[in-house]
Amino acid sequence: MIKAHPTDAMLHAYVAGELNSASALVVSTHLDMCPHCRRMANAVEEELACEFESAPAAQLDGDDMHLMLDAIFSSSASKFDTEVSPYPAQAEAQAPVKPKDAMITLEGKRFQLPRSLANQKHRIGPWSKMMGNMWRAPINLGTDEVANLIYMDRATSVPEHTHRGTELQLVINGVFKDEYGSYSDGDMLVLDHTHQHTPETTDEDCLILAVMDAPLHFTSGISRLLNPFSSLFFR
Amino acid sequence: MMRLAPQSEAPRAAVTSPKSAATADDAQHLAGLLASIANSRCRRSFSELFRYFAPKLLAYGSRQFGNEQIAADLVQETMTNVWHKAHLFNADKGAPATWIFTIARNIRFDLLRKNKHRRDEISADELWPILSEQNESLEDDYALDREILMQEIGAYYAQLPEAQREVIEKIYIEGKSQQEVSDALGIPLGTVKSRTRLALIKLKELIA
Repeated sequence: MIKAHPTDAMLHAYVAGELNSASALVVSTHLDMCPHCRRMANAVEEELACEFESAPAAQLDGDDMHLMLDAIFSSSASKFDTEVSPYPAQAEAQAPVKPKDAMITLEGKRFQLPRSLANQKHRIGPWSKMMGNMWRAPINLGTDEVANLIYMDRATSVPEHTHRGTELQLVINGVFKDEYGSYSDGDMLVLDHTHQHTPETTDEDCLILAVMDAPLHFTSGISRLLNPFSSLFFR
Repeated sequence: MMRLAPQSEAPRAAVTSPKSAATADDAQHLAGLLASIANSRCRRSFSELFRYFAPKLLAYGSRQFGNEQIAADLVQETMTNVWHKAHLFNADKGAPATWIFTIARNIRFDLLRKNKHRRDEISADELWPILSEQNESLEDDYALDREILMQEIGAYYAQLPEAQREVIEKIYIEGKSQQEVSDALGIPLGTVKSRTRLALIKLKELIA
């Protein structure tokens, strides 16, 4: 059972189209995994659409209307699809993702990606080893935002740290825990400077989608020496 | 593999649509217009739909951009989408205003970033997949998988190794979650997942 969900404010911002691409990717992947939040998001969507429909309308004069209608009727559907459409991925997005296309492989293990992420598989870069038994693959969203898949093997821990910016984490598969709790498939965490934690895996490994807007900041003992290199945990 | 785990239903969201009966009739009429655009490319229906939504879209665009010209672009692009993609509207999934609002929202997102001109940039429709079947088909796929499993797999089921059969039985016949199976059998969740995965692969091979 998923127990860590996006806040109402974050769902609202997602539905309103006000999150950046990386955060929106995390929320849409969570929605793939969480029927509860999917229903919440649909309710927010209806609410916003109702506001849109009932807000005072703007004046649009008759001439402008005719010009727009003419332009729309003379627009070509095929040209629209290939060049003008803001939806280049629409055709692909509509086709169901085949299970084998939604798989990624790392260190001989195979993982099934949720649909939103599987649709972005072509954006997932090569895996590189971080410290210990952790791997990371960047997801190139074509924006300035930083999104990574992070894989923690069994019995792996990250030294205690805090977050200088805000980090969103979504567990895709597996379990990890920290001082606050234990998180598994579908759990979504929002971490900022108020969270000082030491994530670790025990007898299960864990695949996480993580987006952050500033590097980690290590807080305890000798791991502080990592701070000059903490961009390792960033990009 | 999490979608294979039957999940207990979370309580339905308490928010209900604040629509009155009169607007429900309107919504039905607007849905009829979309249907005739989709079926017969009816320009008169589209013009009526346009006269209803364009001023609302212009107001939405002006609020979002604070710029009349970009707001007009948003109207034009949104309604061009509606003209060409009316067949994708599904009245069972929501009101026409909701569908058109979500198209406008996606176009707004892309218009806001248009100046950056990065060809590979992820588009709004990839992040808010409204002009697609994604959300619903997740559950549909699961339902279909389950039905196929229940109906066709019976004969092959006995051929599974004991450990895998036990897990499949608890999940697909007793309706337990993977976590519950893990607790019941005293084996790690990861093992339940891999046994489920292996069993399903094996069954697929047997069926093929």
